Amino acid sequence: MKSAKLIIVLTVTTLISGLGLSLLNSWAQPQIEAYRQKVLEQAIYEVLPGIEKYKTKTIQDTDFYEGLDSSGEKVNVAFKAIGNGFQSEIRVLVGMDTSLTKILGVNLLQQAETPGLGTKISDDPTRDNPNWFMEQFEGIKLANRDIDYVKNTKPDPTSGEIQAITGATISSESVVDIINKAIEKNRKLYKNGK
Amino acid sequence: MELFVIFLSAVFVNNYVLSKFLGICPFVGVSKKLGPSLSMGMATTFVMTMAAAVSWLIYYNILLPNNLTFLKIVSFILVIASLVQFVEMFIKKISKPLYNALGIYLPLITTNCAIMGVALFLVDKQYNFVESIIFGFSAGVGFTLAIVIMAGIREKLELADVPEYFKGAPITMIVAGCLALAFMGFAGMI
Amino acid sequence: MSKNKVSLIKEFTKGLWDENPVLRMLLGLCPTLAVTNSAINGLSMGLAVLFTLTSSSLIISIFRKIIPKEVRIPTFIVVIATFVTITDLTLAAKFPEISKALGPFIPLIVVNCMILGRQEAFASKNPVGRSIIDALGMSLGFTLTLTVLGAIRELLGAGTIFTLQIMPESFAPWMIMILPPGAFLTLGLMIGAANWINAKVKA
Repeated sequence: MKSAKLIIVLTVTTLISGLGLSLLNSWAQPQIEAYRQKVLEQAIYEVLPGIEKYKTKTIQDTDFYEGLDSSGEKVNVAFKAIGNGFQSEIRVLVGMDTSLTKILGVNLLQQAETPGLGTKISDDPTRDNPNWFMEQFEGIKLANRDIDYVKNTKPDPTSGEIQAITGATISSESVVDIINKAIEKNRKLYKNGK
Repeated sequence: MELFVIFLSAVFVNNYVLSKFLGICPFVGVSKKLGPSLSMGMATTFVMTMAAAVSWLIYYNILLPNNLTFLKIVSFILVIASLVQFVEMFIKKISKPLYNALGIYLPLITTNCAIMGVALFLVDKQYNFVESIIFGFSAGVGFTLAIVIMAGIREKLELADVPEYFKGAPITMIVAGCLALAFMGFAGMI
Repeated sequence: MSKNKVSLIKEFTKGLWDENPVLRMLLGLCPTLAVTNSAINGLSMGLAVLFTLTSSSLIISIFRKIIPKEVRIPTFIVVIATFVTITDLTLAAKFPEISKALGPFIPLIVVNCMILGRQEAFASKNPVGRSIIDALGMSLGFTLTLTVLGAIRELLGAGTIFTLQIMPESFAPWMIMILPPGAFLTLGLMIGAANWINAKVKA
């Protein structure tokens, strides 16, 4: 009899908890989704300069956000690059020209790297411009090569180089890797899917 | 190779105690003597490895397919609590000496946040099953390393002339700070 | 009646100093060290714990008579885990910025030994009102300590408090303070200082 009571108490507690949480989840999930959408939208307007609005085009489960100018003409395109960083998932939005050979802008959507070290990829308090790392990608031309990173020497942007962050090499490397991989994959996909 | 990197990273570079601040309570509480520290470390490593495996199975076979990922906190903590209970009964059955050595530490392990941390991080990092087990084991080794080093220092510290008000926890924290500083040197390793 | 009132006040204030969870009881150290690289993070973590602890204490003390002794720990854990998930989801939905900053440490509130400790030591043995007062006092003590610790680290590590510039321009920030070692060092010094103040007050 005693053990029956134990089991009942535990089961009832767990049931109430599960039910309550699923109710809350059905309220919270749409809002979390909405916030993500808002952040994404802001990021799209940031990485695609001079666009009036954008439209989403899905090719084989990959979303491409095509930037349109005031006359409705397609001028550039953005897509997400997702991968693992040093200790968290990193999501970057990459804006490029329509042939996917020149980076127009990048925006870090999500990261949770080591506070004070890896977080410098989007917020470096030791520099006047806390976003210097991500801004390095802007304007890099990539006709037939990848982005590369250098340490301790001056990078040459014309040959696709950027400077890695001291003390956060792995996070820096991951960002470069994630962007390179996404560009390579999406270049083919976007060309064929037009 | 990939597995080896996970191991190195969890033991040295991302040491759970010294760089992620997980498992601080037992780290401060139990690290007075070398012997018990080692036992605590081993018990934790054992539970951590098991917890990593079971959490992975539950997350990918029950929670994810049914869209119940928001229940992960509740399910993981239940897994850990029952696992600790189970391990305690099991050890008691098979080996009396082992139980006497580890017994009193087992209940403490339930509230060791490092274990919950392992369960949550392996989901976050999307490790596969084998990687998860290696990760759980390595995080345990890292914990053991930190707590054993600390115990060694504290045994020596008993002979040192520590200011009255800094005896015990405060000096432990400050020593841990120095250790954390030393472990930061591993950051460039991989 | 007035005697009862005095002891209620005492129940509240003991958490602020005499039994301060972090400085005196050394509980809940993981979040204390992990998130306090700025004052605002310390404060947010403190408030998240305040909500979780108070709600859990409320529920546990209401049902304290029907929870069998043998399964009390699992029951407490389920209740705490539920409120932690509520905090986690609500923050993500309503305050995404904070949720982003505290990252994986919200789920870890569930293993904050201070919360389970208060259920075991207090809420499961005392009436509702008293348990809530106790929970509020404890979590305020926790929040204050975290905010001060965060403020010290932010001031020395970045020259700001709550992102307001305090230090003169010429001050070179001590990076180490917002890195892991700075957390251990600052907390060690704070606990030492608390011991010293306590001894002076008692003497």
